[in-house]
Amino acid sequence: MPFAETPLRDEYAAAVERVAGRTLDALRDGGGTAVLAEPHTAAPRPLLAAVRVLGADVFAPQLLSGAEPDAAAAALLTEARRTLPAPVPASEDAALVIGWQDWAADRLLARTSYGDGARAGSPPPLPPFDRERLGWRTWSARMAQLSVLALPGLDSPVHDAARAGTLDLARGTVRAMLRRDATTSVRLARWLAWAHADGRPLRLEIEPVLDRIGQVDDGTDRSGLELAIARALANGAPR
Amino acid sequence: MTDTRMLATAQQLGSRSLAWLHAGYRNGYGRLEDNTVIDLAEPNDVYKPLCEVALASSLVMRDGITGPRDTELARELLEAAWAQLRDGDLLYERQLRHVTVIDPLETYGHFARVGFRHAALEDLLDSLGRLRSVHAVEIPGNRRLALANARRIAGLEHRPDWNTLIGATWLGALPEPWTIAWLIAYHVTHTVFHVTDWGARPECLPEPMRDYLRDWLPVWLDIWLEIEQWDLAGELLIVDSCIGEPVTGRVGWEALAAVQQPDGLIPCEGSAPDYDDPEDAFRDHGHTAVVGVVAATVALSRALGGTPVSG
Repeated sequence: MPFAETPLRDEYAAAVERVAGRTLDALRDGGGTAVLAEPHTAAPRPLLAAVRVLGADVFAPQLLSGAEPDAAAAALLTEARRTLPAPVPASEDAALVIGWQDWAADRLLARTSYGDGARAGSPPPLPPFDRERLGWRTWSARMAQLSVLALPGLDSPVHDAARAGTLDLARGTVRAMLRRDATTSVRLARWLAWAHADGRPLRLEIEPVLDRIGQVDDGTDRSGLELAIARALANGAPR
Repeated sequence: MTDTRMLATAQQLGSRSLAWLHAGYRNGYGRLEDNTVIDLAEPNDVYKPLCEVALASSLVMRDGITGPRDTELARELLEAAWAQLRDGDLLYERQLRHVTVIDPLETYGHFARVGFRHAALEDLLDSLGRLRSVHAVEIPGNRRLALANARRIAGLEHRPDWNTLIGATWLGALPEPWTIAWLIAYHVTHTVFHVTDWGARPECLPEPMRDYLRDWLPVWLDIWLEIEQWDLAGELLIVDSCIGEPVTGRVGWEALAAVQQPDGLIPCEGSAPDYDDPEDAFRDHGHTAVVGVVAATVALSRALGGTPVSG
């Protein structure tokens, strides 16, 4: 009888979907706590990996309803970052992306009992991506990779760049939509929704964009979570 | 700031495209049959391409920014095309027989622009222009603008309401830019061509539409370059020059220059196949050569301070 073992890659991908789905459910339910792990048991490695991948987004349900980051999610994220090595960046830009993603997680963990409270107010040690130098196409692609920063309660030079670069974010969104790149579309639309919530005028109407992205997304809960966060921001979530 | 390297690329691209067109007609390609009658069973076969070459040549002569050799090639192409149309008689007879066809007027504008005139055709067009019918023919909005521009160039008496005409186009709606499609993109380019009279009147396109195009042209050019739609990319470069200071930079020019063959052919899309019969190449890629000539002419003319506008 043939014996098939689920490849590790698939197992981790499934875990990301599961965690994204539960976070999405919590967000739709109005910002409660997502039950990500069985209580009083050691978290399995795929779960920890998934939480590390989603990073600060595990706190999205609370942040978007004006609550403080959830303690259980904070415990998992802390454990994930302690036990799993940071991914090895393939380039300088990739290192910067990882650095900023970790900054976002640190900044939110610092508001819980799992963080270093002293770091909550410290300035980010990293530069933002240089919009002028990279041009709209590359810069917006990098911003898509940093969509996890588009959450209430986070602010940094990356956010300042988003405020100054709404047209380039919009161009990147339109490019991704025309190229049927569901992942990049929704992540850049999330930044646009963030900028809109921040009071910036947009050159692209956000509602039809979000509707369209919802119609043609890739069907994953991970994209669904990005879209739900974008919608919540566009609808005026707490800042 | 003027990018001189970009302009040098544009100049060479346009000059090569013009030489390729000229060589094709010198070889006898794309000629109307001697027994062509006004009914034109296949107007898109020879007649339309001939008129497009006349357009490109008329802009070279209007803008006067090329060297003497290119000016001479353009004049020869125009004279040959005018002769093919029997000094305009073919247009006149076609319009006389068919009251509501629109191509004689569209075509006449390219010739009238640089002094090839036909008095009887102009009288006829003025007379027909007083008919409600002629203005009610159901055609796309951008094509109605082509007629309005031809009337403006020829100085015909009918004065269209430009704002109403512009408002009836896709571009006039300032649509969601992510809904554009290949054919719609051509509608956009032609709306801009006719309203601005091929870059001579950038201010005639309402400011919100110029702003809209400046926002989204870089994206549209990027996606159509990516899938190697060279003909459409060239038309978008023309638009970029027609609305004021260009916003798309060098990328489009360098891409088109890179695919232009040593003989001047620019593939309309992808790579040109090997042709057994060079006349097939002429037919398949003639439009893109016209685009190359117009793009370079308008870009250089605008960079050098704009087209001298008469009237």
